[in-house]
Amino acid sequence: MQQKSILLMRWFYAIVQIGIFGLAISRIVTAMQNYYHYYAMGVIVMTMYSVAIFTGYEIYDEADDGFTEYLLSIPLTRRELVLGRSLAGGLRSLLFMAPIIAGFMILIGIADPLRVATALVGLYGFAFGVSGLSITLAVGLKSGDRFDIIMGALDALIVRLSSALYPQAFMPGPIAAFSEFNPLTYASDLFRWSLNFNSQLLANPVIAVIALVVFLSVFNLSGVIIYERSLEGGTWR
Amino acid sequence: MIDRVTAVIEHDFRVFFKYKFTLAGLISMNLADLLIMAVVYTRMTSFNYFRFLAPGVTATGLFAAAFVIGREVNMETRRGYNQYLLSLPLRRAELVLGRMVAGGLRGLMYATPLLVLAMIILKFPTATEAALILFAMYLLSMAISGLAISLAVALRSFERFTTARSLLYLLLIFCSTVFYPLSVLQQILPSSLILFAKLNPLSTVSDLIRGYLMGTPPVTTQSWVELLSFSGVFILSGAALYAAGIEHSVR
Repeated sequence: MQQKSILLMRWFYAIVQIGIFGLAISRIVTAMQNYYHYYAMGVIVMTMYSVAIFTGYEIYDEADDGFTEYLLSIPLTRRELVLGRSLAGGLRSLLFMAPIIAGFMILIGIADPLRVATALVGLYGFAFGVSGLSITLAVGLKSGDRFDIIMGALDALIVRLSSALYPQAFMPGPIAAFSEFNPLTYASDLFRWSLNFNSQLLANPVIAVIALVVFLSVFNLSGVIIYERSLEGGTWR
Repeated sequence: MIDRVTAVIEHDFRVFFKYKFTLAGLISMNLADLLIMAVVYTRMTSFNYFRFLAPGVTATGLFAAAFVIGREVNMETRRGYNQYLLSLPLRRAELVLGRMVAGGLRGLMYATPLLVLAMIILKFPTATEAALILFAMYLLSMAISGLAISLAVALRSFERFTTARSLLYLLLIFCSTVFYPLSVLQQILPSSLILFAKLNPLSTVSDLIRGYLMGTPPVTTQSWVELLSFSGVFILSGAALYAAGIEHSVR
């Protein structure tokens, strides 16, 4: 129930960010056309990131409730367990954001099924990778406090050091350099490209797809390895 | 009496530093807003957004840090810690006063480095101006603590408290002049929300700091009247609700 209210707040947060902050900030941005759409698309991807991160918090709740031992006892390999959770985490994020995504697409007049499908597949791939990252960190750190602070700091930095809020073209050198290695940059730009946003301000879509595939593969694979090493024998803490 | 109030303040300061993870998250969020987001927006806007946002980030940090006391009071209410507090050799008024003063001081202490950063970015004010800025920040911090304590005792459930806190946070931060000038909000919000943004104490404090450090918008008597009115209402109602709520919670 607590998570439900947190998730609903995320939804409300996205709506307020698009409906108030986005509208206001787009009035003072003069360097590019159509910044409001650019910003709204970024907020959608940012919110998917925040929701997918919850997979890691659930691992701590399960450990506290003694549910981890049950999961280890069921007839599944660790790989199936981690991949299943990551896939579910990605799907939940996508379903959670579906009303906002659908509303936004209707608002900007995107009806081409191919574009819609590309956008959704890109978003799902990203959320799948974020769930894997969350599982990797949660199992690797084994401390709710450490996980909380790292996710808090990551949230603050990953969002601002990416093209989710502003194009790379306007970032000073060091910030642009960080954003090159940030999966949120590629997820946001791929989503915008799918929705036909001005591609001059976006990362190359082919590079974006490759970056997202590498991201989701690395973190899900490391999640499997760390999960296997850390949890065997019930040695959670 | 002063010794007993000081003991409550000391207790609350010790507890504050237990939330080091929350504080670290807050600091990274505030600094990232200023040193990354504002730097990029400065390249995209027709004015120096970095300079504009520095006072706003100070007010946001103050708000978030002052609200932490609500979380503590809510936890104490749910876990029966109020029985211990009521058993201490303190008058009720001393306990309430100590907590309100501590809440205000903690917010001020957290936000002072952000204020110094804003001064480095903008300009160093005169001693009188600096004192007035700190006084305004302290008033806001104490009022926000009062608001947080009121919510914490009124909504005993942690879930309801965190939901109310998030709603308030969104409303007070985004419907204010922290991130954009009032003239921009006037273009996009309905008149009721514009009035709310004008009266919002976060707008008042952000604009007071801007007034003293940038000269614009100018500091007016009306700003001080608004801040004193808001602070007075929330400090007094927070104190009254806490005094009544702490007794009610152990019945």
